[in-house]
Amino acid sequence: MAVVDAGAPALADQPMAPRRRGWARGLEIVVPATVLGILAVACFLGPLVLPIPDPIGGNVLESYLPSFSPGHLLGTDPNGNDILARILHGGQSSLTVALAVNLLGLLVGGTLGALSGFAGGITDTVIMRLLDVLIAFPSLVLTLAVAQSLGPSQTNTILALAFFSVPAFARVSRAATLRLRELPFMAAAGLCGTPVRRVLLRHVAPNIAPQLITFAMLGMGIVIVIEGALSFLGLGIPPPAPSWGNMIAQGQQSLSATPMLVVWPSVALFVTVLAFNLLGESLRARWSRQ
Amino acid sequence: MSIDRAGNDVLVTDPESATRSLLEVTDLRVYFASARQRVHAVNGLSYRLQAGRMLAIVGESGSGKSVSARALLGLLPHTAQVSGSVRFDGTELVGLPEREMRRRRGADIAMVFQDPARSLNPTMRIGTQITEAVRAHSDLDRNAARDRAVELLRLVRLAAPQRRFFEYPHQLSGGMRQRVMIAIALAASPRLLVADEATTALDVTTQAQIMELLLELQQRLGMAVIMITHDLGLAASYAQDVIVMYAGRAVEYAQASTLFTRVRMPYTRALLGALPQLEREPHTLLPVIPGQPPDLSALPAGCPFRPRCDAASDDCATAPPFAEHEPGHWWACWHPAEETSQDGASR
Amino acid sequence: MTAVVDEGPPASLAARLVASPSLRLIGKRLLTAVPILLGVSVLSFWVLNLIPGNAAQQLLGAEATPEQVRALELRLGLDEPAVSRYLSWLGGALTGDLGASLVSDQPVTELLWSHLAVSGELVLLAFLISLGLAIPVALLAAYKPNSLFDRISMIVSISGLSVANYVLALLLVLVFAVQLAMFPAIGFVPLGESVGDNLRSLALPASAIAFPLFCFYTRFLRGDLVDQLQGEDYIVTARAKGIGPWQVLLRHAFRNSTFGLITVVGLNLGTLIGATVITEQIFALPGLGQLMLQAINSRDFVVVQACVVVFAVVAVGANLLADLLYAVLDPRIRYGSR
Repeated sequence: MAVVDAGAPALADQPMAPRRRGWARGLEIVVPATVLGILAVACFLGPLVLPIPDPIGGNVLESYLPSFSPGHLLGTDPNGNDILARILHGGQSSLTVALAVNLLGLLVGGTLGALSGFAGGITDTVIMRLLDVLIAFPSLVLTLAVAQSLGPSQTNTILALAFFSVPAFARVSRAATLRLRELPFMAAAGLCGTPVRRVLLRHVAPNIAPQLITFAMLGMGIVIVIEGALSFLGLGIPPPAPSWGNMIAQGQQSLSATPMLVVWPSVALFVTVLAFNLLGESLRARWSRQ
Repeated sequence: MSIDRAGNDVLVTDPESATRSLLEVTDLRVYFASARQRVHAVNGLSYRLQAGRMLAIVGESGSGKSVSARALLGLLPHTAQVSGSVRFDGTELVGLPEREMRRRRGADIAMVFQDPARSLNPTMRIGTQITEAVRAHSDLDRNAARDRAVELLRLVRLAAPQRRFFEYPHQLSGGMRQRVMIAIALAASPRLLVADEATTALDVTTQAQIMELLLELQQRLGMAVIMITHDLGLAASYAQDVIVMYAGRAVEYAQASTLFTRVRMPYTRALLGALPQLEREPHTLLPVIPGQPPDLSALPAGCPFRPRCDAASDDCATAPPFAEHEPGHWWACWHPAEETSQDGASR
Repeated sequence: MTAVVDEGPPASLAARLVASPSLRLIGKRLLTAVPILLGVSVLSFWVLNLIPGNAAQQLLGAEATPEQVRALELRLGLDEPAVSRYLSWLGGALTGDLGASLVSDQPVTELLWSHLAVSGELVLLAFLISLGLAIPVALLAAYKPNSLFDRISMIVSISGLSVANYVLALLLVLVFAVQLAMFPAIGFVPLGESVGDNLRSLALPASAIAFPLFCFYTRFLRGDLVDQLQGEDYIVTARAKGIGPWQVLLRHAFRNSTFGLITVVGLNLGTLIGATVITEQIFALPGLGQLMLQAINSRDFVVVQACVVVFAVVAVGANLLADLLYAVLDPRIRYGSR
């Protein structure tokens, strides 16, 4: 009889301070969204448009340059690569992975959960037990094992993480669908003889979408962190390709001497995750009020 | 109103207290401030209540009756702004510092709320919820408090009080829970009990039992009672004095007998008229009051009932004063009914 | 109509057990836990088997001859079909024998215990720190909602939740170990040797894990308390009795919040596993996460399988414990309804 049954990860939960003025509420959504937009543009378009050097193949003679050196705004890493370039390119992989994983989770998991919740009965029980097994399974193990055996790569990371994103979304989707099913208009739709597919598409989907999207926002932050963790352990995006995670790992080795090698990618990570979290929270607050 | 129903002076032992009412509410105003608007829930309510009498405050939802009651105890949320005067036994309550207010809550004025299922803490034994109230205003130790609690449960006629003491709210029926609420309210021997829709959530039979209990307790303990209700029948059956509220103000005020036989306010008449009655021909339409209650964030000047009143005229653009037009009978209307109402709901 | 358990003539123990609502709940949950654990062990076994790369080959290295590989395979029993290997593993597991490490030949159960002790202490400390701080902070924040304290603590909480745990760990090392030299950056000192040093060696890693937990619990508890204070009728009743605000907060609101908190703590225990792996790696602690990581790297599937099952048992067990506590503490469940 667990109270928190949505299977949501640690972050999805209670509202922050109550009512604020109307314009502040709008700001809560606009500001993080803008930050994310700028970030995405910077990561994907920045390297194409701005005079930023390549993220790999740097000159070893130029290694360990401090921040604000000429030509290297954030300095260089042990191999002479420009840190800013690496952060932007790393952002590309992190955001791509996070987007792919959450999209898969949303579509596959969301559908599965909705079907399960809607169908009820044996189907529901069976699917739920399977999902319970997946959720109880220590995810990092599987990801590590997969990475170990198949070799680290972006695609493998996406697949491995999606493996756990799908059940999480399924749980949320199922809980939302179950709550929806109680409402009278669902019974009405059934009585009218509306075909199941139509009910799902036109009634269930739009109503559970807000919760799933909010969950996805928080999921973006989570996946970026986990992908960083994998790269940190050497099992995510393989070097020399940059990822915020492997940059942090690399910087760890000279932590006391050159802390900025860890600080810059950490800042990028923090800002991105914070923006996603704030956006998710604001969206949830906005939608739950309706 | 220190005259009894026969119009004779009531014999009083303390001449001073006879003239000083237990509760004097003067021009009470409450509004709720939010980012965009102000909702004026109570707009100038005034009345007097003597010790030991039962007053019914009657009105529809949104008339401000509950809000005015909570204002007495200072139980409104922070968004509420209260002005005006509420004097309890001579002490001004509006603006009283919170610590002082707390001393009076439960001890001088106590409240019983509408939904006992939600008004009792589900994870606390009912005995503890009563002893909490007892010990808040006395120095009794745990055992003495427990004895007092059991005594209170007996007072509200709850069977097997010793055993009930250890039970949880969900193990009791609705009527029993309401008795527990009353026991909690009586814990510190208050002089005024406010029953805010105390019987609305109960079925009719239980309702009658609880009202009888309240009446009995009132007479036994000499408490004054304010009964807040939307049920005119209830008010007529049990209360001695009645105030009718509309849009946050009092529109009519009299002893129950007077009010229901010599109704003046068009609103009160309409309310009485809207009660279903056995004497009417079957299949006649219930005369409902047309229109909607006013928007409390945008109250028009003048009489708030004007849009729905069939006796309205241009005079009504100015708000009629709430005055004692006849001895013991107050109303606020330019066009009170002249005739005695034939279908008053006196029972 | 009365409490089911203590009314009437004393029924037989079995009858009373069956009748008690909370015990029935516990029983049901236990029954569902078993297939989940079985499922996890099957899944893990299957996954580990799918991974290409012959274990024996890996263990012997590239220069091994095919005959040596074959010999090792036979010795380790790797030539038998997967199903029978799983079943023999399961049989062993149920009797307490989890096999022996492919690498060191050490009995897995021994390995598990010693490493579990470390991770266990780490996690316990993390919970103590996080709850010990979160509860007072949340209470103070809820006491005066929207006050400066409240706003600051909420901002800190949501920011804290946005920091990756490995980043935090490195930050802590940078500040406390390198700059201030108050705590060691790596290394573990067992409890047996010195309590003081043991705690010092765990201080930073436990804090790294505790901080995000603290943020989460603070937000959760504060939200729950404020929801009650603003929305629940029994709070108004409590105030109407004339009791003080702290009493209302503690005896009424907080009391009811503990249920949600217990459930959430139980859920968290399961997901904490990921955090321990990284933290143990950074701080070089010989815990379960470290063991598993090494085992994965050296293809020691026996150990990996055992670790997976242990983690799953902890996750499921914690959930179960939370539900159990909930069922026992919540009087609505314990005494049923009329």
